[in-house]
Amino acid sequence: MKIALFIPCLVNQMMPHVGIATVELLEKLGHQVILPKGQTCCGQPMTNSGCFDEAKKTTLKLLNAFKGVECDAIVCPAASCLVAAKENFHEFDTSPEAQAVIDKLYELTEFLHDVAPIKAFNKPFNHKISLQLSCHGIRMLDLATPSEQMGPRTNKVEAVLKAIPSIEIVYPGRHDECCGFGGTFAVDEGAVSAKMGKDKAQAHAETGAKYAVGFDPSCLLHLDGMMRRQKLPIETLHIAEVINAAL
Amino acid sequence: MSTNHTSGAGSATHAKKAEIFCQDEARVDWHSKALWMLREKRDRAASSIPEWEQLRELGSQLKLHTLTHLDQYLEEFEKNCHANGIQVHWAKDGAEHNQIVHKILAEKQVKKLVKSKSMLTEECHLNPYLESHGIEVIDTDLGERIIQLAKQPPSHIVVPAIHMKKEEVGDLFHEKLGTDAGASDPLYLTRAARAHLREQFLSADAAMTGVNMAIADKGAVVVCTNEGNADMGANLPKLQLHSMGIDKIVPNLDSAAVILRTLARNATGQPVTTYSAFYRGPQTDGEMHIIIVDNGRTDMLQDKILAESLKCIRCGGCLNTCPVYRRSGGYSYNYTIPGPIGIAVGAQADDTNSIPWACTLCGSCSYVCPTKVPLDKIIHHHRRLKAKAGKLPYGKRSYMPLVGNFMASETMLNCSMSVARTALRILPGAVLKPFSGAWGKYRELPIAPKSSFETWFNKNRGQ
Repeated sequence: MKIALFIPCLVNQMMPHVGIATVELLEKLGHQVILPKGQTCCGQPMTNSGCFDEAKKTTLKLLNAFKGVECDAIVCPAASCLVAAKENFHEFDTSPEAQAVIDKLYELTEFLHDVAPIKAFNKPFNHKISLQLSCHGIRMLDLATPSEQMGPRTNKVEAVLKAIPSIEIVYPGRHDECCGFGGTFAVDEGAVSAKMGKDKAQAHAETGAKYAVGFDPSCLLHLDGMMRRQKLPIETLHIAEVINAAL
Repeated sequence: MSTNHTSGAGSATHAKKAEIFCQDEARVDWHSKALWMLREKRDRAASSIPEWEQLRELGSQLKLHTLTHLDQYLEEFEKNCHANGIQVHWAKDGAEHNQIVHKILAEKQVKKLVKSKSMLTEECHLNPYLESHGIEVIDTDLGERIIQLAKQPPSHIVVPAIHMKKEEVGDLFHEKLGTDAGASDPLYLTRAARAHLREQFLSADAAMTGVNMAIADKGAVVVCTNEGNADMGANLPKLQLHSMGIDKIVPNLDSAAVILRTLARNATGQPVTTYSAFYRGPQTDGEMHIIIVDNGRTDMLQDKILAESLKCIRCGGCLNTCPVYRRSGGYSYNYTIPGPIGIAVGAQADDTNSIPWACTLCGSCSYVCPTKVPLDKIIHHHRRLKAKAGKLPYGKRSYMPLVGNFMASETMLNCSMSVARTALRILPGAVLKPFSGAWGKYRELPIAPKSSFETWFNKNRGQ
């Protein structure tokens, strides 16, 4: 498939290794990867603050970067940004061209589970990992059934990763409680955000896993800062890095 | 007694109050754990019912249906109440509610009123009003009696004294009820409270309760308690009063049954509340009054998104699951009702305009809710309403337009982030405004890469 990458500003500027792993893994799976120019931010920092007027220019700039781009799918290695982009594109542009872009948007896990499943992994990943089920991915993208919901359960994140040879998957206590990042929440509500992050980082560390693995770079960035401040014997990895290492 | 709790109404932002609460980390952990236990009990209770998700959907639909035919059901309810010998009163706001209650009590020369579980009377500030008119008001729910003795507002809608440890209750009871000094055994304290409350029930002239549901086609109200205190009150004196918001109405017994099945399970994990009493007429030679209160609810109905908050059945499940509420406490919300539902129904009353931001939009509350109130969407909507009204907290009004322009410009974003990465790499504890001040206070700053992803892609994939 021809895949256009949607690389959120946070990944582009602060976590390029997540983008690189995404490119490499998609190429190993036989896809052609392009990077449409002119991408900045999905507008989430503004819309989540209630500031829709301030978000419009940014959101439309990102949308325009994808309009008319020839591709089979637009893939993003960040669930929260993907959700925000979908919602914000729809909010500010109701044209068929915008809808065409929205229809092609996939979060990386979602793409690898629903659209182009991985047939086989070539290498083992000899580590115990603690899965970070970030909120927007599970409660807005259905990547996993949230713990509040009863009935049949699905977990696309685990389904994708468990096929990797030798990998051991565990979960932290209160397994899908929010890590406390919340975008500007981390700044506006510093004390509560830090306490939530501290609790989450410790819960991951208590599993004895070597890595806390997630699909949302922003949550991982926050947890990484918490883990290093607490000097916990665990590191964060993005799901793309784990998959890329096993292909 | 902890000094971390200030009274409900106040002029400090949620973040400020939460920061004070967070200073005692052991207490935060204890508070968070106590409430999470309720969430776990709820999960066990909900999972024991195969049709749980269908019940949630039914609950949501029947509440939405009732809210969209509110005039019709309220009129039907009033008509059937009259037929049952119940007197019905209408109050447009809290002040009118309090006046009506006082008038009824004054006519009967009531000196002491026993009251059971009603967040609505808290919302209307009934107790101070009646006390200023010389009427003694005794809250009879154990948790409510504890905080009444401590002269505090509730910090949770179902477990109002959840913020107090048993040792603190022991000290309070020693001072107010004469229990043994240093005694903190829950059984001992509960027995003391029970004896004390018996005296109150027996000497009261009138009883008042909240209403969990009002059944339109029966002209009846449902009151749910675990201690039987509402029933002790309502069955002893001849005068009984029930206060309800217009949103409490349901069409019939079948719809009440749906809500009864989810209410207690979602609140405390019980299959049903110990006492679920249906009152449909006064005692022999007695009087029964129902006061139906609007107090801003019809205004909320005008906004399609806010209207859904009136589906709430006040189980408190969203508070128990909320990671922010559990770590910031009930008194940080600047409203009688805290937590996600408190933000949904109280954001407009918060003079600091900060409570809509006391939320990470994680969505757990919306999934826990037994009537599918889309709490995260409502909270998000409140932020937009605040922004439109020019009432943004935390300096957002000044910096958001800058962020908006900044993010929309690749050149500005790339240049400044390049500088920021370099700063992060070479300056220890570098300050990356406006982000790293609060960020760096609690966490290590990110380990910055040398260059951006785009630079790598262009270099390695030759675009």
